Order: sequence, then C-alpha cells, then structure tokens
Amino acid sequence: MSGLPVTLTVNGRERALDVPATQTLLETLRERLALTGAKRGCNQGVCGACTVMLDGKPVRGCLSLTANCDGAEITTVEGLAEGGALSGIQQAMADSNAVQCGFCTPGMLVSAFAFLREAEAPSVAEIQNALSGNLCRCSGYRKIIDAVRLAADRAARAAS
Amino acid sequence: MNEAKPFGGGVGASIARPDIREKLTGRARYIADLSRPDMLHAAIVQSPVAHARIKGYDTAAARAVPGVAAVLTGDDFPDGRMGAFIKDEHAIAKDKVRYLGEPVAVVAAESEGIARHAARLVEIDFEELPAVLTPEEALSEDSSVIHEGLEDYIKVFPAICKGNIASETEISEGDVATAWAECDVIVEDEYETASQAHLSIEPCGALAEIDEAGRVTLWSANQSVFRVQANVCESLLLPMSKLRCLTPKIGAGFGNKMEPHVQPLVVQLAIATGRPVKLILNRVEDFETVRHRHPFKIRCKTGAKKDGTLIAREVEVLLDGGAYGDDSPGVLGYSLLMARGPYRIPNARCHGKLVYTNKMRFGAFRGFGNPQVAFAGETQIDEIAEQLGIDPLELRRKNALQPGDRWFGGGEVASNGLAECAAQASRAANWGEAAKDRSDASIKHGRGVAFAAHISGLLGTGAIVRLLEDGSVVLNTGAVDIGQGSDTVLTQICASALKVPFEQIALASPDTDGSPYNWGTTASRVTYTTGRSVAAAAGKVEAAIKSHAGEILECAPHDLELREGGKVGVKGVPDKEVTFMEVSLRAHWAAGGPIVGSDTWVFNQPSVDPKRAIAKGLPFPQIGVYSFGCVIADVAVDTVTGKAEVNEAWSAMDVGRAINPASVEGQIEGGFVQGMGFALMEELVWDGPRLVNPSMMDYKAPTFRDTPYAFHSIIVEEHEPDGPFGAKGVGEIGLVPVPAAIANAIRDAVGIRPRKLPMTPERNLRSMLEAEDAA
Amino acid sequence: MTASGSEVAFHRPSTVGEAVALLGGDDGAMCLAGGATLVAMMNAALVAPSGLVSLSAIESLRDAERLSDGSVRIGAMRRHRETAADALLEDGQCVLREAARQIANMPVRNMGTIGGSIAFFDPAADYPPALVAADAVVEISGPDGERAMPAAKFFVGWYETALAPGEIVTAVRLPPAPADSIGLFYKLARVSGDFATASVALVVAMDGQTVTYLAVAVGACGPTPVRLPEIEAELTGKALDDTGIDRLAVVLAEALDPIDDVRASADYRRLVAPRMVRRAITDAAARLGGAS
Repeated sequence: MSGLPVTLTVNGRERALDVPATQTLLETLRERLALTGAKRGCNQGVCGACTVMLDGKPVRGCLSLTANCDGAEITTVEGLAEGGALSGIQQAMADSNAVQCGFCTPGMLVSAFAFLREAEAPSVAEIQNALSGNLCRCSGYRKIIDAVRLAADRAARAAS
Repeated sequence: MNEAKPFGGGVGASIARPDIREKLTGRARYIADLSRPDMLHAAIVQSPVAHARIKGYDTAAARAVPGVAAVLTGDDFPDGRMGAFIKDEHAIAKDKVRYLGEPVAVVAAESEGIARHAARLVEIDFEELPAVLTPEEALSEDSSVIHEGLEDYIKVFPAICKGNIASETEISEGDVATAWAECDVIVEDEYETASQAHLSIEPCGALAEIDEAGRVTLWSANQSVFRVQANVCESLLLPMSKLRCLTPKIGAGFGNKMEPHVQPLVVQLAIATGRPVKLILNRVEDFETVRHRHPFKIRCKTGAKKDGTLIAREVEVLLDGGAYGDDSPGVLGYSLLMARGPYRIPNARCHGKLVYTNKMRFGAFRGFGNPQVAFAGETQIDEIAEQLGIDPLELRRKNALQPGDRWFGGGEVASNGLAECAAQASRAANWGEAAKDRSDASIKHGRGVAFAAHISGLLGTGAIVRLLEDGSVVLNTGAVDIGQGSDTVLTQICASALKVPFEQIALASPDTDGSPYNWGTTASRVTYTTGRSVAAAAGKVEAAIKSHAGEILECAPHDLELREGGKVGVKGVPDKEVTFMEVSLRAHWAAGGPIVGSDTWVFNQPSVDPKRAIAKGLPFPQIGVYSFGCVIADVAVDTVTGKAEVNEAWSAMDVGRAINPASVEGQIEGGFVQGMGFALMEELVWDGPRLVNPSMMDYKAPTFRDTPYAFHSIIVEEHEPDGPFGAKGVGEIGLVPVPAAIANAIRDAVGIRPRKLPMTPERNLRSMLEAEDAA
Repeated sequence: MTASGSEVAFHRPSTVGEAVALLGGDDGAMCLAGGATLVAMMNAALVAPSGLVSLSAIESLRDAERLSDGSVRIGAMRRHRETAADALLEDGQCVLREAARQIANMPVRNMGTIGGSIAFFDPAADYPPALVAADAVVEISGPDGERAMPAAKFFVGWYETALAPGEIVTAVRLPPAPADSIGLFYKLARVSGDFATASVALVVAMDGQTVTYLAVAVGACGPTPVRLPEIEAELTGKALDDTGIDRLAVVLAEALDPIDDVRASADYRRLVAPRMVRRAITDAAARLGGAS
C-alpha cells in the first residue's frame, strides 16, 4: 500500500510505516500497530480517551496526523508499565478503586503520568487542571484525584 | 496441588475488580477493539427527514464503490418488531421513517472509510409527512399519526393507547379531590426537564459473525446479552437458538446500552454477506440514534397542614417518548410510582401520558423517570416548608416514610434507612450552619436538601455455581458488568457464601448459550436479584458439599460447617475436616456427580395492592425492593453571570449492606456528578426536528474542574431481609435527588425558584433580575 | 478518516517561502498548524483538503522574542501551552497569557498554535479579544510578500480574516504595554475548556484613582471582538467611578452583535457581557489599589 514513509518510536520500539496523509495517530496505533488502549470516544479531541504522549507531552491521538509525527517518540498506555510492573499511577489507580468501566482510563493514565513527572506535591486544583481534558462519566472524578495524590505521595516518599 | 488459601475478599471488602490490570494496561477489549478474520466494516445511512413514507431507494452508486460488499435497505429486512413493552420497532426503518437521523439503510465494505463514503451515496425517495415535534402536538386531534398500526402491535401489559398516545398510567390512593380542603397551604406549579444524553465515553457498536451452520455469534456494547438476543430475534424473525450473544468489555451504559441499537443491522449484514461484520457508531451517530433521557413536563401539587403534615399530592406528567417506545411505558409508570416521594402522604394521585413524537427515541437512563419527578416533588416540599416557616429537613423528617409503612400503591418496604440517611447527612454537613455567611457581594452561597427513594428490581435472573475438580469454583450468572463492578460484587457474595478466597472463583463471561437468564444490568438490580441467586446457588453447593463430607467424615450434614479457605469440618472438632478438593474429587469420580448448584427466580412482590390503590395501565406488576437516600448540596451562585456551582455535597444512601464499599462509593460519586450535570448544564437541544448539539463540542458534561472534590459519600446499611447478606442496589439512587437538592440550594442562595432543568446561568440570571425588578 | 478516492498530498517545508509556494501550487491545499481544529474538521468530513502543508518543521515560526522597541513577537507555531507560560509577556501584555491559559485543556494546549487559531478565527476563541485589547499586530506572509496589520483589522467577520488566498500568519507582535498596567481575561463558559459564551479582555493602568490607560475588548458576542477606542479615550485621564464604569459597560453592550447558539442566546450575551465588563474593571481597579 502506497503512502508516506514515517518512523515512530512507539513505547520504546522503532516502527517504520507507510501511512496516508490523512491517517490519524489514533488510527495508526489502533489499526496498524494493534495498540487498542487509546480509544475513539468522539474523534474531535474533546473526550480525551485518545490521549497519548508525543515527545513526552500528552496530546490527542485523534487530532494528530501520523504523517506529521515523523521521528516522534510516542508513549501509549501499553508503554507505562515497565517489565511486568505497573507504574506508580497505575498501581495507585488500582489501590484507590478509581477505575469503573475503564474506557477513559488509558487516556487518563497518560495525562496523569505526564503530569506526575513534573509535579511535586500537587494540589487538588492542580490535578483538576492537568486532567480537565479527560472526561470520565462513571467515577465523579474524586477517586481519580485521590489516585494521583497517592501516586505523588508514594513517589515523594520513595525519593526521600 | 492447590493449597487452600486463607479467606479474603468476601462481603464488605473494597477489593479491586478482577479485570483491573487489563483496564490499567490498555488490554481490556471493548467492542471497537474486537476483530474477526475476513471482517467487513459497516456504516449506517440516516434519514434526513423526520416523518415520511419511503417510496424507494437508489443504492446503485453505493454498490458500485470498490470494496463495498452489501447495501441493505428496509426492504431487505424481515418484518419482525421488537419493543420492551409495545412491539413497535423494526430492525431498521421500513416503509416509513419516524425521526430525523433514523437508520434507513446500512452498508458493509472492506473498511470503515469505504463504508461511510458509500453510505453518503445512497439515495432515498421520501414522501414527507407533517412532523409531530412536541408532546402537545402529539396529543392534538389533528396531528399526524406516527404509528398507524398502534392498535395491532403486541403489548406486554394492559396498555392504554390511541393515536399518538403510547401509554397512559395512573396510580392513586386515598381521595385527593376532597383532601385539598383539609390543607392549610397548597403549592401547585409546572416543571420541565430537558433530555440528557448518557454520554458514555464508549459509543455503541456491534460485531456479528455467522458460522457454516448458519448460526450467528454477536458481540455488542450492551447491558444484557439476553435483551440483545430477544431484540435481534424478534426483529429479524430468527429462532433464538440461531443467535448466540456474548459481551466484550463495556465502556459504561447508564441505560441506553440496555436497548437495541445496531445489533440487528450487523446480524442481518452477516447473514447477507456470509462474513463477519462490525459497525461502530461515531459520536454524532451515537447522539442521534441511541436513546436518551425522556423530557418531562410535570404539573405537581402538594398540600399540607400548617403544622407541616403533608396531606395530599397530585402529579401529572407528559412524556415525550420519541419515535419508538422501547422502555418508555416503564419510565412513565415508574415515575408515577415514585412521584409521591418517600413520605406518608395519605392522598395521592399520580397520572400521566406518554406520546410518540417524530424525534429520536427516548429510553432508559439512570433514574428512569424518578429524577424528573423528584425535581418537581422535592422542590415543592421546600416551598411548603418555606411558606410554613419550618426547616426543610425537619419537614421531611416529620413526614418521612417509616419502617413498616408501605410504598405508594401498597408495595411492601422491608428495609427503610431513610431516617438514618437524613441523620448522617445532616450531621456530616452540619445542616444548621448558614451558608449565607460565606456570601459576598457577588457570590452567594446556599444549601439545599432532598430525599430520595428508588428500587432494586425486577424480573428474572439466575446463577450457576460449580466446583471444579480441585475445589476451585466457577460462577456463571449472565450478568453484564458495565463498569459498575457487578463482577466483583457477585464473586464476593459467592466467596463469602462458600468461605473461599476471591481468587479461587472464576467468573464466566455472559453467554446466551451457557449462562442462566439475566434480564439485564439495569434498575439497580444486579447486586440484589442476581446476588440473591448467587447466594442461593452457593447454598445448594454447600448442601452438596456437606452431603459428601458427611459420608467421608461419617457424620450428619447438619453437624458440619464450612471453614475459611475451602474446607468443611465437624462443628467443634477442629481437626476433623476435609478440603473442597477432596469432596469434589469424590463427587467427580466416585459418587453423586460433579457438584453444581443452580438457582433462578423472578421478582415476585406485587407493586400495587388493589385493596389500597387504583392502578391503570401499570407496565410492571412486580417492581422491586426499596432503597432510600438524602443529599445535601452547598452551592455558590455568581450573581454577575447567574452561574451556579456546587462547592460541596453530602450523599447518604441506604444500600442495605455494602458488599464492596469502594464500589458503592463509586456509584454514589458518579451518580452525583451525572445528576449535577443534569441539574446545571446538560441539555439536548432541538431546532424543529433536528438535534442541534449531537457532539461533545456542543453538548457539555462536567469535567474535573466543574466538579467539587469536597464530595462525601455516606454509606448507610439498613439490612434488607431478602437481599444477599442484606444488600440492595445503589446504581441509580445517587442521581435521583441531586437536581432538587441543588435547586433548593440555589433558592437558599439567591431567592429564585427554578422550575426548569437545566438551571443554566441564563435561566438563573433572568429569574434573579425578574425578582429584583419585582421587589 | 478518508473517502476512498484520490490520495491527499503531504508536505513538510522548512521555510515560510516554501510553505507559501506549496499553497500557491494547489488550490485545495490547507495549512496544518497544530491540527486541533483542522483534523477535527477532517474527521467530521467538514473539509477535504487535496493537500496538507505542515508548518511544524519551520523553526522560525516557533520562536518568541523581545524586539529592540520592547515589543514581543510570538511565532505563529507557538503552542498555547508555551504562550500560557511566556515570561516575555509583561504588564498588560499578560492579557494574552491569561487567554492562552484558559484555552481548552492541557493536551489541546500542547497541540494548538496561536497562528492556527487566529487564522481559522472562531469568534468564540480566546486569543482574538486578547489580541485586540493588547493592540497586537498580525504578521502575514504570502505570494506577494510580507505585510502586517492590527488585530482589529485582521478579524473581519464570522470565521473570516483578512488573509488572502495563499497567505499564512507568521507571527503576532504585541507592543509594550504601559508600565504597571495589568491584563485580565475573564471567560464565561458552560464548563471548563469550552469555547467562551462571553469573554472580556482588559488592559488597564491607573495612577491612584485615575485611569491612565484603558483597553477593553469583548469576545464571543459577535462576528468580531468588540472594542470602542472612543469610550476608552473618554474614560482615560479621569477618576474611575461607577458612572464611568456603567457608561463603558452600556456602550460596549450596545455595540455587540451576538447570535443565538447552543452555548447561550443572543439576549443573554447582551445581558451578561456588560456585567462582566463591570466586574473586570472593578476587580482590576481593586488590584491596582485605586478602587473608588
């Protein structure tokens, strides 16, 4: 199939692909690379279920054109755990009972993961601001905030 | 082999769900993540008109697109009709369209892109008919008739229908007509609630695959594999043995995945093409074709004596049912059953109508009519309290339904934790504290309270518990976990019943082939109804275990007790015991047969006692057991813009017994925020027949920054005697009183009395300015 | 999501000149900046460009710098996240930072760009009133060379700017704001991250109780941001009092031309915008210590 040659590093692994100009990163991840963690909730960039990291920053997979991401490092929810061990935020989400249907969870984890890398002792307001682009219809948000605080807390204690 | 592990993760533990790792690592597979070899992708063609006869189709251009495998129109579908109460709906529009956006044809192709492109090329010849766009129009004598065959449709209840009226229901007790004369204060008003979209983050979709024998396997976003099976088979005139329904992971439902969407379409395409077919709706299509909350018009009248005793209530409702009925008659009936509220009001008459209109179908949504009538009823209680100079919480307590009282219509209420909910919420919120003290020149604070009741119902369910050879357990209930945590809770019930660790129980995925019938994950029913079945089935397994153990240990079964970790031993004799494995091996190889316990039942308590109440057109004779709750909201209203926000809230819910406390909190918290959205901002808007905001850009629900972190769930446990370990449901009740509590808080803050939902900044500001002008 | 059919061309030039040439060579080609709006529209099948000219490899468009006259130039490809944290913006120029901070949410702020946003010009977007209040100049490059114009002239009508076919926005340039001036951006929206129902961008400086500088623009209440230099001039050099504030609010309200849309009615916008103007000025005055 003809297309534009693109090289992406996805979850640490280099992938060379040919993609049509109009293929979104979300489509490439889900359909070409079988990474179905990122979800299509609205395809307009509002719900956040497609959020992935591009060069370390959370972006909307549904609004990113793969052809425009040549050379980028992409991290999806599938890349957050290291070896078999869940990352701090994943473990904290489990321990805080912050997952219900789980559909928003991959995008939520990516946003939270990126936020926690730069945040120290985040306040509730800062967490709300970092995650306001990820909609959750099940949880009412409270337990997710608790999970982020728990992860930040544990990371701070591990560092000291 | 397997060492019996110490007991853990039973009833009362906030144990993590068994699929937590899958969900956290992105490996959970939802309908859109599934794929089958040689699969086609499908897309719908939607009607551009609201009400029309279909004269013909031109599918030639669509068929000619390379990669298109099939184009099916209404003419290619069988004539069967489905519908939960009135069988008024075909699989796809046939001969007639009844709402703008209704699927009229469907295309299957090698890719979604090709299918959507070809779908745009299908042409349909319509003969437009006048569209009926409001319930009032629907009621008028000369309005167009939307369902000409209404008289002949099969109905599963004594429906009163005529013209565009799909159902009329009435429940009354006492003598409302004469009771008004006894009242010192009477409040009467009209209320209106908007349509709310479920907005599950996962849109609807389905995947069907046909085998060589002509049998179809169907996966779909659903809340019941059995409802899917029934709907598809009824509409496609398929024997149920020809369709096997399975479930992927579900990305929430809140009600509308209980009702059919594209499942019959993919099944018919799979039959037509012989290949697997997958169809995932995009968000716009999901908004336009899947069902939403019924808009209600409510007239409510409440009367009391000057000492605050409530004497009479009359409620009249008019529901916009949209183009097809589905659960709508149930929503009408249920809202009327709940409209008197959790109070001792001796005279009440609740009645109403459901009409068809040429708008998208309305259907089940968390609360099922109760949030709408609670908005009217619970704000009126406050108005009465205000007129009488009585504290609104005090007035409610004074009139609250007491343990032993029956529900409106005569239904038995076996457990009633309402007083405790009110007490705990009031204490936690420090109810007497005046929120006004925090007000400043431009932001005014206020507090409001509302009571709620809801049911855990209804219909049929079952459970099968089996012991595997090594003493491990397999549980099969057919209940779909839509994210609320039923898989966890049912496993916990089984774990506690058999005293085995949670991890030693495997839970079978719902399968219409192998699972016992389960009506569905709806009506807050799974913990209560299916949980009861699980406990009963486990009880039969326990009896079988004891019978075998009795033989092995040479004693009577009644001298035996189950011990933690999968063991059974003689009471009082610690070292006389055998493991479940030993018992199960004996059963498998020597005597009795492999141990299986199964239980099925149908909820059987009557909703209405004909000696106490009159009921006409009641859609469900046996509804459920009752739960209660109390919500207090602390709200800030910006007097410059009219925008109201919740600062803090307390929600105390009587759940009988919290099998999984963290999951119960999750339901209370999620219910509150969804109720807050319904109260303050969510509204589907129509411009004539066209839905104006079918997108997440235009339809808004609360984000992290619109939701108070200061939210307090309070679990009250008032043991339900028939419930598994005393439990009853909590899925919906958390939402029910929220709009009223917020409305009452807004009244406290700025003195306006909202009568329309949502209470947007515009509506609030206008009311505030009108009040200023009047003063 | 594409219709089956011809392939869409994709280009990633490294200079503005190349980008302009590519756009000139294909009538149906469109610029890809952050993608937040364009790709959403492509996904919804609202646009179907025959070619895409990505600007993300043009380094000169990504810079922000302070010029010798104290102006701040912000390259068209600066992301909202960057503008929201831009320390180069000082005094009243902060109105732009305040606007950027309130756009959408984190992931969208990581993607969206100031050039892409203003070239599309959604009248409910946050940059336009902020740029108009800041007296910003929009720099443009096209087949006929480079030009610049005040933001107030750049925003022409509903989703319409002064860009001629084949032209692109290369930067916005904010003149230095008066010393000790402050910038406020008040946004009323249905939920966090929504487009504005109504917005007020304010740059103001005071000497005691006297207004020494005033610029107010109302957004999301008409086809373009509404700013009335005449009324600003009337109030400048005078003590700020309720009468003056009311007059400003009323005159601005009369100049609004809002529509009914899903966020609010035109009537509500006419009602709430002046109230927001009053609040913004009063709050600003309090902050500057000159409240009356």
